[in-house]
Amino acid sequence: MTPPSEVISPLTPAGAGEGAPIGGLADDLARASLALARRFKAGGTMWCCSPSWPFHAHHIAVEFVHPVIMGKPALPAVVVPAGADLVSTLRASVRTGDMVVAVAGSDDPAVAAAMRRGDAWGVETLWIGAGPRPPAGAARHVLWVDQDDPLRASEQFVILYHLLWELTHVCWEHPGLLRPEVCTEEVCITCSDEGRPAEVISVEGDEAVVRTPDGRERIDTTIIDTPSPGDLVLVHAGSAITSLESGR
Amino acid sequence: MARKPEATDFLYPFIEREERDPGPLMADLARSAQAKWAQSAALRARTIEECDAQLRTVAAAMAERFAAGGQAFTFGNGGSATDADAFAQLCTRPPWGQQLPVRSLAFDQAVLTALSNDIGFDVVFSRQLEAYGRRGDIAIGFSTSGNSDNLLAGFAQARKRGMLTVGLAGYDGGRMGASEDVEHCLVVRSDSVHRVQESQAAVAHVLWAFVQSALGTAEQLTDPDQKVAS
Repeated sequence: MTPPSEVISPLTPAGAGEGAPIGGLADDLARASLALARRFKAGGTMWCCSPSWPFHAHHIAVEFVHPVIMGKPALPAVVVPAGADLVSTLRASVRTGDMVVAVAGSDDPAVAAAMRRGDAWGVETLWIGAGPRPPAGAARHVLWVDQDDPLRASEQFVILYHLLWELTHVCWEHPGLLRPEVCTEEVCITCSDEGRPAEVISVEGDEAVVRTPDGRERIDTTIIDTPSPGDLVLVHAGSAITSLESGR
Repeated sequence: MARKPEATDFLYPFIEREERDPGPLMADLARSAQAKWAQSAALRARTIEECDAQLRTVAAAMAERFAAGGQAFTFGNGGSATDADAFAQLCTRPPWGQQLPVRSLAFDQAVLTALSNDIGFDVVFSRQLEAYGRRGDIAIGFSTSGNSDNLLAGFAQARKRGMLTVGLAGYDGGRMGASEDVEHCLVVRSDSVHRVQESQAAVAHVLWAFVQSALGTAEQLTDPDQKVAS
């Protein structure tokens, strides 16, 4: 890899488009901030991880735990230590209603696997990164900067999570908007029993115990290949109807 | 359904509990985010331009010490501790250029808690520099206020040991800007902690790139397998 010329030409102004409106990213930030404020208000904990850049995870956590502005509430944000088995550590730690925030490229397999488990664990997932975007639906909130230079991207991550912290606290001051969302849709995926993702805990013959946001459930696995602990399956009416992936 | 504002609303500060539609707030937040993003980009450009000559001088002095076998220690508190970690990671696992021996003093919780518990938090960096620092080494401290006691103590110890001292500060440089123990103080002139940190990240990256240039190794990779981004 040769030195990217813009890194060693610091006199270049901010760069084409960089000081300009950030468009869709600003809207994504606003939505993510409201989601985090709602989860914090309901008692959730935010788990921060960045396997390749652990300092980003630590920076995010300290922003929320010890706000730079006096009088802002300290909110529970925790770092998943770099070097830990990310999925395994999160599986042991997160509870329904928590948040998982990752700073990672879309090619980080551990982060992708953790994010994929968000719906089974009942956690809000937020993925910050740069370069090629993760596939649609990889996390509930994807905050992606359009930046190929890894150093400039890293600088922009800092701006992003500073704004995320600030906007979360603005939302915090709008209690009317922080109430749990009431389901008003005619057909709601959460309320109907249609294809709820679950994570396999243990397998016994044609049955398995799985984890869902509502707790542990015993399900029938006759119609899918025998799953392994850690697998994600789709559950409908007490049965696994499809395997979402194998293993971790 | 939106509630109509009433003349007596000021008597009821918690009237926002009735707020239901997040639309207007979301639009406000997106506008605010865009404005701050632009402010941050402008401050970054201004800072890099203002500090250009100073950055080249510091980079040359650092390169000289690295070339002579010196190593660098980074330190800071809170978010600035993560900046210290980031700079150490960039230097030891660079996306290109030479690997440089740089270590963050904000990293080892056994040392940090031992020193804090037995002596006090003011010595967490100075005591480590006393143990690790040698003449010809480099001390790089990150602060937004420029006033942290433990950084100033660290710089004093580093100077005493004949190390090159480099500070990154915000506001007007604070006590670090005025201290004789900080030979080079790179100041991000803003009074917002967040905007200062954002530009300090850029200052650190430019400093790193200038050090690589000064070492004359910018065009070659010493370790072809080393392609990890900072």
